[in-house]
Amino acid sequence: MNRFRDALGFLAIAAILLLISVLLILAVGSDVTKAFSSFLRGIFGSFYGFSEVLVRATPLILAGLGVAVGFRTGFVNIGAEGQIYLGAIAITVLGLAAPGLPPVLMVGLAILLGFVFGGIWSVVPGILKARFGISEVINTIMLNYIALNLVGVLVRTWLKDPSYPYPMSPMLPAAASYPELLSPTRLHAGFLVALAAAVAVYVLVFRTPTGFEMRAVGLNSRACHCAGIPVYKNIVLSAFISGGLAGIAGVGEIAGLHHRLIEGISPGYGYIAIIVSLLGQNHPLGVVVAALGVSALHVGSLSMQRAAGVPTSIASIIMGTLVVLILARKSLFGSTVKLVREN
Amino acid sequence: MPLLCMRNIDKAFFGKPANLQVCLEVQHNEIHALLGENGAGKTTLMNMLYGIYQRDAGEILYDGQNVAFSSPKDAIAHRIGMVHQHFTLVPTLTVSQNITLGLKSPGHPFPRRRDLNQQIQEISQRYSLEVDPTALVSTLSVGEQQRVEIIKLLYRDARLLILDEPTAVLTPQESESLFVVLRRLREEGHSVIIITHRIPEVMSITDTVTILRDGRNVATVKTSETSEQELARFMIGRALEPIGRSAAPPSCAGTALQLSEVTLVEHGRSKLGPVSLCVDPGKILGIAGVDGNGQKELAEVILGIRRHSAGSILLGDAVLDALGVMERKNLGIGYISDDRHHDSLVLDMDLMDNLLLKTHTEKRFITHGLLDRKKIRQDTARAVDAYHIKTSALECPIRYLSGGNQQKLILAREMAGQPRCIIAFQPTRGLDIGASEFVHQELLRLRDAGCAILMLSADLEEVLDLSDHIAVIHKGEIMDVLVNQDIDLTYIGLLMAGKRGDERGAVV
Repeated sequence: MNRFRDALGFLAIAAILLLISVLLILAVGSDVTKAFSSFLRGIFGSFYGFSEVLVRATPLILAGLGVAVGFRTGFVNIGAEGQIYLGAIAITVLGLAAPGLPPVLMVGLAILLGFVFGGIWSVVPGILKARFGISEVINTIMLNYIALNLVGVLVRTWLKDPSYPYPMSPMLPAAASYPELLSPTRLHAGFLVALAAAVAVYVLVFRTPTGFEMRAVGLNSRACHCAGIPVYKNIVLSAFISGGLAGIAGVGEIAGLHHRLIEGISPGYGYIAIIVSLLGQNHPLGVVVAALGVSALHVGSLSMQRAAGVPTSIASIIMGTLVVLILARKSLFGSTVKLVREN
Repeated sequence: MPLLCMRNIDKAFFGKPANLQVCLEVQHNEIHALLGENGAGKTTLMNMLYGIYQRDAGEILYDGQNVAFSSPKDAIAHRIGMVHQHFTLVPTLTVSQNITLGLKSPGHPFPRRRDLNQQIQEISQRYSLEVDPTALVSTLSVGEQQRVEIIKLLYRDARLLILDEPTAVLTPQESESLFVVLRRLREEGHSVIIITHRIPEVMSITDTVTILRDGRNVATVKTSETSEQELARFMIGRALEPIGRSAAPPSCAGTALQLSEVTLVEHGRSKLGPVSLCVDPGKILGIAGVDGNGQKELAEVILGIRRHSAGSILLGDAVLDALGVMERKNLGIGYISDDRHHDSLVLDMDLMDNLLLKTHTEKRFITHGLLDRKKIRQDTARAVDAYHIKTSALECPIRYLSGGNQQKLILAREMAGQPRCIIAFQPTRGLDIGASEFVHQELLRLRDAGCAILMLSADLEEVLDLSDHIAVIHKGEIMDVLVNQDIDLTYIGLLMAGKRGDERGAVV
């Protein structure tokens, strides 16, 4: 019965979203068929388009996993955006400080350093929460602004490329790059890193004693305290892992795409990651699927804009509506389903 | 014509019937008991009368009129009032403000408080419900708060009063004075329904008893024409088995659990006075006391859930003072908390995970650093078998098990591995009689196996039934420790109320 209800709820959400998109497309004066066909062609119509979906999904998977790990333990991490930037700073500093490292060592170290940088950025609000009960929601958001502007300062001062007038770092050595997977597309090995991270997170959270503790703390920290499970340690640990994964996302954006630190490497991936985690129900597999879906939505809407003149903002409107509907699903559709069943 | 007549009431929650064709008839000037175990449907029935739930079928005649209240406000307008098990008072307001809360008193929005206090005084004198209208509710004892709740209803002119488990939180003396009030109410022309599962109090105060079992009527009898044995049989469907507490085996050498001068100070307030206790192996020390007199603090300090401020706690030769909860549990302390849902279980996890909550780091469940689901499954299946836990599957979230089965899983977890000491805090709270009997048997079995048991309970009968020694706690201090033999109940009642009389019972 519950399954039936769930399915009906999701069907209703899909119908509402479809309706809203049709209305919006009509409102901007476009042809609905043309808009939808160009949307689908953007995603599946070309090899390049499809590879773009994977490229955009890469940071979303990693940051989404991070947010999901936090949510599981009751650490509401809104700070993935900032942690992504910390990861980006990590690889830049490493690449510029030790340009002579061989590729394998360089990339490995970069991932590790990015994990640590992002982790520390998230552990600060983690400790504040676990030790003093200060809301991590506010603190992680505030640290986003600090991280964003820290990058702004760095690319204008210590990490600035002296040979250019623009705020950006010098190019990193070739060793600090992820291998390309399918030239000439932009797809890089970061996608594999993201998939590997999903497997690792699954094993950690669902198969190890540590993950068991983290999940239990997230569901009932009081009972864990009474059972002798250290709540403080688990919150801080999950905060660290949460931020660390987002940090790896930042490493990937530099190592795979930009190869130098610039402002604005993340068009809000850290915030979209929250949606991804929510859609994926905080499960690693769900996060991967959700990240691919959200990324496809974005890539498709770009093509829709090119071909049918429908602004990409529609994708954001749809995504916002989707989140509201999912959150309100139980109360919105629960009673409707009950009514239908009773009649 | 009866004052209230409920006929063939049906109510189901999520397809599960809570009331089936239940009938209840209450006369004018009558104290009527609604007797039944936890989950028999007593409170559900009253909540329907009071407008909190809507009935699925059946009719309610009140004063000869067919009524259906859509909210408690409706019911109060018809002069029906209910005191819930958990009081609904605002602690930061005065008694008089609480009583007039939500009413438009003369002079609203600036009521003439002195006149109101006068009226409240009158009610309180008329029914011998002593309470000071100007006192803050937060300063009142539980018994006084209950009086405020009753005055609140009388102030609203209630003719029919419903009391849900009114004696659950009272000392024997406070219960006695509540009964005086109830008799007074009857004389003044009120009718009272008390919801209860305590047979002795039914015998001593009521005129008529309606017994419910599994949501159905079992019988309605005149109190004067029945006996405790008959009521017990009606209530649980069989005769009540007396707890066979044999004499404790001669205690093994030494003490198992020892507290010396343990205190707990939180936020500058003393929560636990210096407590010194010792429990021998193979003995049950029962702690009697009114709920909220430091029992939780005492239990949690022993477990290390809260850190005591001074004094020392020993388990055998091991000093526990500096140890964490996990280390103490590993030394052999089991804990049964009074609040299953918050303290003992992760409701959204399944049986296996909940059983694992204490043992998830043990080597036997781990292969290659990963949890071995197969071994965990076997272990859980064994526990489910040994403790007769009824569940549809091991993967079932523990949330969907009945309270009794949840408690059995907790016992299975906390009693595993031959513990040296069990802290059992209200181990049968909210359980039906069958499950309670099981818990008691398990505690006695462990005692006979040489485990030291500290049992804290607000249910005096439970303490009397099980304990070898009884200590009474009041405001965080141990008033006295007695051998459980020919106990003077009056003396215990006085101790529970914080009065140390001159006369003393047997002293250890």
